[in-house]
Order: sequence, then C-alpha cells, then structure tokens
Amino acid sequence: MTNRRLVPFRWPALGFAAYLVVQAVSAAALFVLKLGGGAAGVRAFYLGSPERFTHAKSLAGILEVAVPHLAAVPLVLFAAIHVVGFARPHRRRAFSALVALSFASALAGILSGFGVRWLSPGLAWLKVASFAGLEVALLSWAALLVALFVPGPHVRPVHHGAGAAAPVQEVVR
Amino acid sequence: MRFLVLPRAAARARPPVRVFLAFAALALVALAAQRIVAGGLSPAEVEAHYLGAGGGDALPAAALWEEVHAGAFVYGFVLFMLGSLAVLCPVSARVRNALLAVAFGATLADLFAPFAIVGLGRGGSLRVATFAVATLSVAALLAVVALSFGRGGGHEHP
Repeated sequence: MTNRRLVPFRWPALGFAAYLVVQAVSAAALFVLKLGGGAAGVRAFYLGSPERFTHAKSLAGILEVAVPHLAAVPLVLFAAIHVVGFARPHRRRAFSALVALSFASALAGILSGFGVRWLSPGLAWLKVASFAGLEVALLSWAALLVALFVPGPHVRPVHHGAGAAAPVQEVVR
Repeated sequence: MRFLVLPRAAARARPPVRVFLAFAALALVALAAQRIVAGGLSPAEVEAHYLGAGGGDALPAAALWEEVHAGAFVYGFVLFMLGSLAVLCPVSARVRNALLAVAFGATLADLFAPFAIVGLGRGGSLRVATFAVATLSVAALLAVVALSFGRGGGHEHP
C-alpha cells in the first residue's frame, strides 16, 4: 500500500471488493440463466421466442431492469474508481482506459437492450460484448482494490507485550 | 475519500454524513420490516417461500441470483460507507474490524442462504439466523458511526 493514510480503510475496501466480485458473479449467472449467455439467447429474450413460449419485451419490462441499473452501476463504479484513484499514483493512461471501459460498457449494456428490441436484432452482439466489458471492469476494480489494500511487507503489525498484534492505526501513526 | 483522510475536511463532511446515516437507518428498518412481514422470522414460512408451499415448485435459480444481485449492491455499498466512516469513530481498531467482519460475513451468508435451503430442501432456520445477525450487525455498525457523528463528529483521523 503506497498511501499509509489509507491503511485503516483496508477492511472496508476489501469487503467492498468482495461484494464487487459477488455482483459480477451474480450478473454472469443471471445473464446465462435469463439471456442464454450468447447473442441468440439475447435476441430471443428481447424479441420473444416460440420455442420458449415468450413474447417480445415491453417498454415497461425493459425499463424495469434499466432504471435501477442506471442508478446502481454508475454509483458502484464511482465508488470503486474514486478509491483506487485516490489510493495510488497509477499509470494514468491505463486508469483512464479502465474508467472509459467501465462507463462505456455499462451504458452500452443498458441501451443495447432497447436497441435489440426496437432497432436491430444484430445489436445482440453489442449486448454480449458490453456485458463482457462490464464484467472485466468490475473484476479489474476488485482486483485493484485487493492489490492496493492487502498488507504489504512494509506495513507489518507491531507486536506488543504478550504478542498481541497492534491495531492497524497504530502502525500508521 | 478525501473528506475521510484529511483531518480538517472531516468536519465539513459531518452534515451530509448525518443525512446519509438517516437514510441508511431508514433503509435498514424498511428492509427488516419487509422481511418480517414476508415471514422472515419463521423457518417454516422461509422454507415455504423458497421450496414452494404445499408441494409447489421451488424458486428457480434465476430468482435466487436476482436476490443476490440486488442485495450485493445494497449491502456492499452501505457497508463500505459505514466501514469507512467508522474509521473516524473513537472505537478501537480491533472492535471496529470485528464488527465489520461480522457484518460482511453475515450479509454474505444471508444472501447465499437461500441456495442452501433449495439445495437441502430445508434450513429455514439458517436464513432466519443469517437475517438476524446481518441486520443486528449492520445496525450496530450504523449505531457506532451515528453516535460519533451525531454528537458532533468523530475524532480526527491521523
């Protein structure tokens, strides 16, 4: 960890990283279970499928999923990006690229559902690609949080008396 | 993050933090009420919900994952905020970390407990227990932060 002022925030940050992984895994499970995991499944999901006895999605149905994601996804990305950006001097270009991938894939993922339904079934590939991009981004932010907040060799617990580890804050002070 | 790590900025963060805590408390109460009204304190009702009442079908895997997906956002974000704010509170790091570990562990267990119920065909009491521990641990963390920030603020961070 390069910024010692952040050491006390280690466990909240690592817990947040764990939940980013849970979000990515649960999103992947839902993508496979509900949309089939590929372009053909995405088309069937939005346009309806006689084999599955499903109708095309209504505007209300698509909005029901899109609206909470429009609020939740940017909020989660903002929190992760904010912490990683603050915690470490990083390669600016790589950091900016990951930020761009995160928000672009999130927006494309939400909008492409509308696109498949009302513009072109070919946009199903965009849905698949943007979903994959967001998954990569979420897992990358989680990995960066872990890399930044897992104890480094220079921040070892100080041992007191009978060998009890000192609170992390004491190491910082 | 800047508010939290810069001592002089912490005072300015106090009013919005209080509002956030009020909303977090309301969300926690509403979530608990929603679960209790739906029979979340009764193992039999929990099992009936996930396994199907009267020989009905169990909830499909997609429904279980949807619950995990929504819960991971709420719990993950709120615990990250509360855990970060707790750093500024006058409690020992050991107590703070223990409280945070219990809250993270219990909420994760609460999110995944339905898979155990569906897999085992029983275990409603497990979900009741994870619900109770998750709610109480998040409430305790929230109380620690609220007691500090509500009284005029946490101590200055080193």
